[in-house]
Amino acid sequence: MIFNLINVVVVVTVGLVGIAIYGMLVSRNLMKIVVGLQLAVKAAMLAFILSGRLNGKIDEAQSLALTVIVTDTVVAVVALALVVQVRRKFGTLDIKAISTLRR
Amino acid sequence: MNYAALCIGLVIGLPWLGALLVWWAGDGRPRLQHTLAVLFSVAAGVAAALLIPLGSHETAVKISVGGAFGDFTFVPDGLGVFLAAIATVVGSLAVIFSVDYMKGEAQLGRYYAMILFFIGAMAGLVLTNNLFLIFLFWEITALTSYALISFYNDDPKAVAGGMKALIITQLGGVGLLAGALISYAYLGSFEVSVLLEKAEVLPESVLGILAFGFLIAAAAKSSQFPFQTWLPDAMEAPTPVSALIHAATMVNAGVYLLARFYPAFEGVPGWREAVMLVGMLSAVLSAIMALTAYDLKRVLAYSTVSQLGYMVYAVGAGGVFASQFHLFSHSIFKALLFLSAGAVIHAAGTRDMRQMGGLGKQMPVVRAVFVIGALALAGLPVLNGFWSKELILEAGLTGGPAWMLGVMIFTAGVTALYTFRCVYMVFYGQPAQNRHAHDAGMFMKIALIPLALGTLVSWLVVGPFGRLLEETLPFHGIHAHSLGDIALEIVKAPVTWIALGVIALGLAAWVLRKQLRLVSEPLQGVAGVSRSSFGFEFINRKVVDFTQQLAEDLRAGQTGVLSWNLLAIVVTLFVVIAILSLGV
Repeated sequence: MIFNLINVVVVVTVGLVGIAIYGMLVSRNLMKIVVGLQLAVKAAMLAFILSGRLNGKIDEAQSLALTVIVTDTVVAVVALALVVQVRRKFGTLDIKAISTLRR
Repeated sequence: MNYAALCIGLVIGLPWLGALLVWWAGDGRPRLQHTLAVLFSVAAGVAAALLIPLGSHETAVKISVGGAFGDFTFVPDGLGVFLAAIATVVGSLAVIFSVDYMKGEAQLGRYYAMILFFIGAMAGLVLTNNLFLIFLFWEITALTSYALISFYNDDPKAVAGGMKALIITQLGGVGLLAGALISYAYLGSFEVSVLLEKAEVLPESVLGILAFGFLIAAAAKSSQFPFQTWLPDAMEAPTPVSALIHAATMVNAGVYLLARFYPAFEGVPGWREAVMLVGMLSAVLSAIMALTAYDLKRVLAYSTVSQLGYMVYAVGAGGVFASQFHLFSHSIFKALLFLSAGAVIHAAGTRDMRQMGGLGKQMPVVRAVFVIGALALAGLPVLNGFWSKELILEAGLTGGPAWMLGVMIFTAGVTALYTFRCVYMVFYGQPAQNRHAHDAGMFMKIALIPLALGTLVSWLVVGPFGRLLEETLPFHGIHAHSLGDIALEIVKAPVTWIALGVIALGLAAWVLRKQLRLVSEPLQGVAGVSRSSFGFEFINRKVVDFTQQLAEDLRAGQTGVLSWNLLAIVVTLFVVIAILSLGV
């Protein structure tokens, strides 16, 4: 049976990681990069649950996932605050425009 | 908590507490800052003195910090307690000296806080039995040394000297960290005693890497060949700092490291020869540079490198006891020389010896103590420098090749020559200027007198000192002898009389310098080369230029665009996954 739960979760996880990496690599908008980062973290969380299920240690996986939720929230808050500050200071969210490490 | 643990806690904790309090007192209250610094450093000195009778090879303090770093242990063994005593006692004298020397300076808080922080870290470095902690304290001493060299931070020379010292000693710190990690990887422990005990278990190549890594670390820290260039530039520091950090304590850390790990590495092929060679080259090159320098503090700095070279040579020749005894003597007489040089510089307002001359009449006390220190440095009987230097030469006779011993004896003659040159140029001869130089202040004298007494009599403790090392260092195989035996042995040894003869020749060369002009004029070329530090400054310059050019070239790799950085992370991730799944 190809549509069992585990296969679906694997596909969703890999898909989420792919979308996240693609978004982070090609987008020049800082906001979209933050969204990509969030997607990547969600994929990691799914992968935790999946590995817990496969190893029969679902309780450990769930506690790790809870930890990820908490840290992820903090990351999201700080990242969004930074995005707001960047927008106020530079007037744009284009990462090429705000880079100062150029010759 | 037992008594020894309490003492160790006080020796390390009191200076650090004092550092915080001096900082807290603020620069608006200089009297309070002076008082606090003196109180806490003297209290630490007393605690370290109380620790000496408690010396043992058993762990006194054990703090469990979880798996990653092992247990933080402290052992008050012979090497540790006596170096901690030197650090705190000379430290407290340097702080007392600073009361006069640094009077009226702004930012006393920064100065005293850094000195006290250093004293505590130095005591911790020698008392701990954990390689990771050794690394930690080692880095603290390097950082405080950097901060104090650059204390006058509006002077570009001081800032450059500090940076140079920091960069070169960091090189050694990396070697030490690598050594600690390798030892942990193979032995599963950061304990020094475990490494000494199980050195044979390690594969020969690993032990070799460890041994030479630690030699590089020690050479960088102790300003030995080929890293000797940072110490003279460190002389931009306030003089009490030079006396404490760059003569009596921190630069000894390298010798301490070699002596501490000698039992583990003595079997490594070529290691002992390499150690002796490093010591010998440092000793002879720096002695020649001291002969041609005109800056009073630089002369003393070169002579420090030279004397440290003697200690390193002694460790390589198997004379761990001789090297530690010379370290003990040298700390006392070199701190004395530096502090009295500080008094001279304070009074004369210059460091150039050509502008001094004839200061002896105006500063009789300083002249008296400086001459005592100089005689000890030259190795004349019966001062402490004589006994320890002869012990080293004797160790070289039994443990090393004859030609190296010959070079070391020649260096003893050069040492006598530059010492008398320095004394004469500063205190005797024609006054180069009519400026009135005032004698040292009261606090300066309080700091100088104990050191002068120590220079005269400290060799009397050689018996108990040897017994302490013998009883508390189970792996070193040191055999203690009584004072009488050692004195008799030294007096009877032919090498002593040869060395004394060479020293007398050095002295005679200075007295007859006018008649020897025929010999000395052709040597002016050598003098020129030695003033440019035998080309080592050129090598340093090239290394710096190369690094800067490389960094400039690598800028192309830093686009500053976020997407490229993310791409690098993702690619690295895939590489790691590929390696893991291939199971390489």
